[in-house]
Amino acid sequence: MNKSNAALRFLAVVALVLTAGCSGETDGLQISDARVGAPTGPNAAMYFTARGSDEADSLRSASTDVANEVQIHETVTSDEGTMSMPSIPRLELPAGGQLVLEPGGYHLMLVDVDQLEVGDTISVTLTWEVAGEMTVEAEVVDPSDTMGEE
Amino acid sequence: MFRRSGVVVLVAALTLAACQSAVSTGALQGVAIENPTEKGSFVLTDTEGESYDFAARTEGKLTLLYFGYLQCPDICPVHLAQIAEVLGEDAELARKTEVVFVSVDPDRDTPEAIREFLDRFDTAFVGLTGSHDQLKTAQEAAGVPPARILGEGDDYTVDHAGWVIAYAPDGLSYSIYPFGTRQSQWNNDLQLLAKLVGEQGS
Repeated sequence: MNKSNAALRFLAVVALVLTAGCSGETDGLQISDARVGAPTGPNAAMYFTARGSDEADSLRSASTDVANEVQIHETVTSDEGTMSMPSIPRLELPAGGQLVLEPGGYHLMLVDVDQLEVGDTISVTLTWEVAGEMTVEAEVVDPSDTMGEE
Repeated sequence: MFRRSGVVVLVAALTLAACQSAVSTGALQGVAIENPTEKGSFVLTDTEGESYDFAARTEGKLTLLYFGYLQCPDICPVHLAQIAEVLGEDAELARKTEVVFVSVDPDRDTPEAIREFLDRFDTAFVGLTGSHDQLKTAQEAAGVPPARILGEGDDYTVDHAGWVIAYAPDGLSYSIYPFGTRQSQWNNDLQLLAKLVGEQGS
């Protein structure tokens, strides 16, 4: 092995260690873009993106002080174009993959939700099979702003 | 049988128009209807408890018709908020437009609750309700598959048409707006559809 190869290897190891160090603090499941459409009726929908760790996980339940109950729903479009939102027992997050909750797909339905205004922030506790409980902050946005970027 | 007719209507609706009709609708970004359909005729009850003749009351206006329900947190508010955003920025356009929301959940959605719901978007939005039979008739007249109740008890959800039907001021529908329509597409199309007033001389 010549010197430059050894140096490269050393740098590669350093890079790996550094990367590991970075992710060490934020390792595991991460939530981003948590948002709730300002309620217009008794219920509101919450959306977020979860990025998984090396281990697959699944969202089992959720709760918040601002709603009586939180249900996991999937909006389903039929062949006819009709839409319904059956409640489903869990959401799967593949290992190293992501789980996207967005309008027209999955959402958490906050049942009998308190009056929330655009700009408010609410805390929602997500219970994962592996990662356990984690509390996330979700911003209340106008329903037209719940969809992702164009 | 109704479901089958719904399929036919939707298949027709979702078939992208290969050529432009006499009216200049080529720039519309909604899902074009190959053979523009006429505005259906039905009578329901508005949130003031008054009879509302849909075809008569919306004549000559750009009309947006949507069947939904109040406990729907995911798609219904998005459609209505998107439309409200366009109209909120253009009083002239709003004046020429009638937005009609029909609740297909008459057992839970009272006229008062419908009014309160719509007022969160725009106090000018019209809210309608009726008996199950009247609502079925209205949905058939509009060419959408009748909504169905899914589940039991108080916790049921409603399977309903997910798209908004737009009728130009000439009373024809050239395009529909399925869920997933972007704000920019609404901005574009409502302006275009309202301008069909001039071209049609109505």
